[in-house]
Amino acid sequence: MATVEFLLHSYFFFVIGYFVVVNLTYTFFLGMSFREILYYMRHNSFGNLRLLVQSELTPPVSILAPAYNEEPTVVESVKSLLKLNYGKYEVVVINDGSKDGTLERLITEFQMYPSRQVYHGLLQAKPVRGIYKSHKPAYRNLVVVDKENGGKADALNVGMNVAQFEYVCAIDADSLLEEDSLQKVVKPFLEDETMVAVGGIVRIANGCKVVNGRVVNVGLSDKLLPIIQVVEYFRAFLSGRMIWHGVNGLLIISGAFGMFKRSAVIEVGGYRHDTVGEDMELVVRLHRRMREWKRPYRIAFVPDPVCWTEAPETRQMLGRQRNRWHRGLLDTMLLHKKMFLNPKYGVIGLAAMPYFVIVELFGPLIEFLGYLILIVMIAMNILNVEMMILFFIVALFYGVMYSVGAVLLEEVSFQRYPKPSDLALLLSIGVIENFGYRQMTMWWRVKGFWDYFRGKKSWGTMQRKGFAVGRA
Amino acid sequence: MGTAYPIEFLIIMGFAAVATLMVLMISLALIIHKAIEFQKSWRQERLYGIYSSAFAQILLQELPSLPPNAKTSAVFIQYDSLISPIKQRLVAMTRGRRKVHKEVLRRVMIDFAQDLSGEPSERLVYFFYVLGFVEEQLRLMKSRHWWIRAHAAREIGLVRARKGIASLTAALEDEHPDVRNQAIQSLIVLVGVDALDIIFGVSRNLSQWTEIELTVIIMNFREEAVPYLITALDSYDDSIASFAIEMLAEIGFIQAVDPLLRVLQTHPNTSVRASAAEALGRLGDGRAEQALLTFAFNPHKGLRVRSIEALGRIGTPAALPLLQKRLAKSEGEEQTTIARAIGKCGHEGRLFLEQCEQSGDSLVSALASQVLEELGSETVSG
Repeated sequence: MATVEFLLHSYFFFVIGYFVVVNLTYTFFLGMSFREILYYMRHNSFGNLRLLVQSELTPPVSILAPAYNEEPTVVESVKSLLKLNYGKYEVVVINDGSKDGTLERLITEFQMYPSRQVYHGLLQAKPVRGIYKSHKPAYRNLVVVDKENGGKADALNVGMNVAQFEYVCAIDADSLLEEDSLQKVVKPFLEDETMVAVGGIVRIANGCKVVNGRVVNVGLSDKLLPIIQVVEYFRAFLSGRMIWHGVNGLLIISGAFGMFKRSAVIEVGGYRHDTVGEDMELVVRLHRRMREWKRPYRIAFVPDPVCWTEAPETRQMLGRQRNRWHRGLLDTMLLHKKMFLNPKYGVIGLAAMPYFVIVELFGPLIEFLGYLILIVMIAMNILNVEMMILFFIVALFYGVMYSVGAVLLEEVSFQRYPKPSDLALLLSIGVIENFGYRQMTMWWRVKGFWDYFRGKKSWGTMQRKGFAVGRA
Repeated sequence: MGTAYPIEFLIIMGFAAVATLMVLMISLALIIHKAIEFQKSWRQERLYGIYSSAFAQILLQELPSLPPNAKTSAVFIQYDSLISPIKQRLVAMTRGRRKVHKEVLRRVMIDFAQDLSGEPSERLVYFFYVLGFVEEQLRLMKSRHWWIRAHAAREIGLVRARKGIASLTAALEDEHPDVRNQAIQSLIVLVGVDALDIIFGVSRNLSQWTEIELTVIIMNFREEAVPYLITALDSYDDSIASFAIEMLAEIGFIQAVDPLLRVLQTHPNTSVRASAAEALGRLGDGRAEQALLTFAFNPHKGLRVRSIEALGRIGTPAALPLLQKRLAKSEGEEQTTIARAIGKCGHEGRLFLEQCEQSGDSLVSALASQVLEELGSETVSG
């Protein structure tokens, strides 16, 4: 009995220690991200992005949009991609063996014909059934590739093979890009020739008014789950990624919106097919190879080029997404475990990976065990209730602090939510999310661990509701 | 409670206090930020309106004409009489208030500067000087913060202060690219096309972004910029030489063929030579054909592929035998480039591709087919 009690108390001490370390890290991140955002804002105030539309030297870009069973939305999405404000670019839609009429809709709408373009399989992928181009001059920069189903990573590899240009922008077929987002995300490549990848910020479109594939009025959803995710995305993008960007330690570029140097991606072998976290894995591999080959390189994050995405609105969908993200994280960390705490990999091995493993990967597990032990301690009547309450209050305050801090970051920088009522709602989320939502996400992530070791590799189906058109 | 867990209790209490304090501070910062912003924008809008109408008056006010033998300083005395009421009001203000007013005043004057020309524009430049804006920006050019230096460099251009040319020239070597880029922009505004001489002479390692900014400037000058671009071909900074090559091709200045041929044949950097090959192709002059044929065998892949590409752009059938020979022996991107170049070599080139499409190895046949399709679509689209 005494041993059990000792172990329980030891775990309690461990949790306190973990709590201190994690919160100090977060506090440091929050403070530093203000600095990084300020630098970005200052720097950005001097570049006239319109030059990228005027100049003949603007590098052309290939946009890769994998599509799987996107029949209802694919035409609108492609039309909006074809209207981006950028110099020369092509849109490569990769139909990943859709079972619905995605390909037929594209062929009919854009008057496409089977092209005789030679397919070079630089990156391994499932066979390509056909490449289509349009008869209409207005759609000359559209290429549709039809291939056998192989998943998103496989589709992106085919896209890389087909892309004509050195800069490739990988997006989700249902992502909504702002008109000038390509200009903003290509700029870091032009400023630094060692840049190999740049990630852009992703924002939640639920509740926004969308007209012709463009977000014209930013607002919040009338459902709680998407609003909480807005604050979560603020924390993840404006705070977390800005810090790692500052030290060239960014480990993830969202699959919904990221630009890469094609030659670098091909050189490292493209996207892996056997992981559900292919976006993170590719970025970690880029870091790994560049460091192993002793090449100067940069991987950056820009908080401004906005890509809007539809967030899951039901617990079931959100659960699947978080479960998949956690499996992806775990898989990537295991695939590249050699880098962990390895000084050869610099800031990646010594700071970024330890942070992701200790805080992001094991955090939910430690929290979950904490709840279990709490129950055991209550059952054994050895719980110091006042102490526990105090601990929860502190945890709550810290949670609120980060959320409020992230909202502040948004407010002082980009101010995309102009209504004071939206701002007040976002601030209150900092409190609300601690009761139920936090525990739910913890559980989905713990389940991700379990599913990973059971060998689950699937994405799980994601049902999209579609963007609200004409709704304020 | 305290006796059971004294250490962790203190830790938790400490964290609770810090977290509470930070939440309060952040919330307070948020509220203060919103309030300040609102108040500032309201106040500035009001002041902007007042100063706009005041400046519209003093800039457009007719001045009594001066006798032909009047000294230059007589004009300035007239200008002084116009600006002195505003100047006196500023002097009478408290330091904080004066700062706000001067900020708005500067914004108003800069907005006017964009639209004015002729005598009112000179009048405005004089006001910039007498209100101390130019001296202030020159002082800020020495700031230890890059963003202040960059801002000052921009403002010097906007207020057309020729006194700032020396500072701007020095800023071309600034450690921060934004300062350098702003200095380039302002030098162009102040000196015109002649600024290219200074810019190409002083700048080093142009980034692609700077090149893009410069392209727009040079394309506005077009032929006027050519002498400076030709001089820049001899720059010992390879990025400047490459950029000049690219611009000469972009302008389409046919007399640049000879200097470009010289670069192609003698420049020590192969990448610069490859750029020259590409530029010669874009100019499409047959004089370059012989040299390009030689470089189509160069061991440096970049130079070889660009030379082949250029031969295709020039499109003379004389290059055909060589390209035909190389088509089967090459692979990947180079093979596609050769096939495209053949396609552009007139009727004979197309004929050869049609033959390849019917026979030959499967990849060559497929490539020929692809190129013929591309050429067809080009014809369709005109």
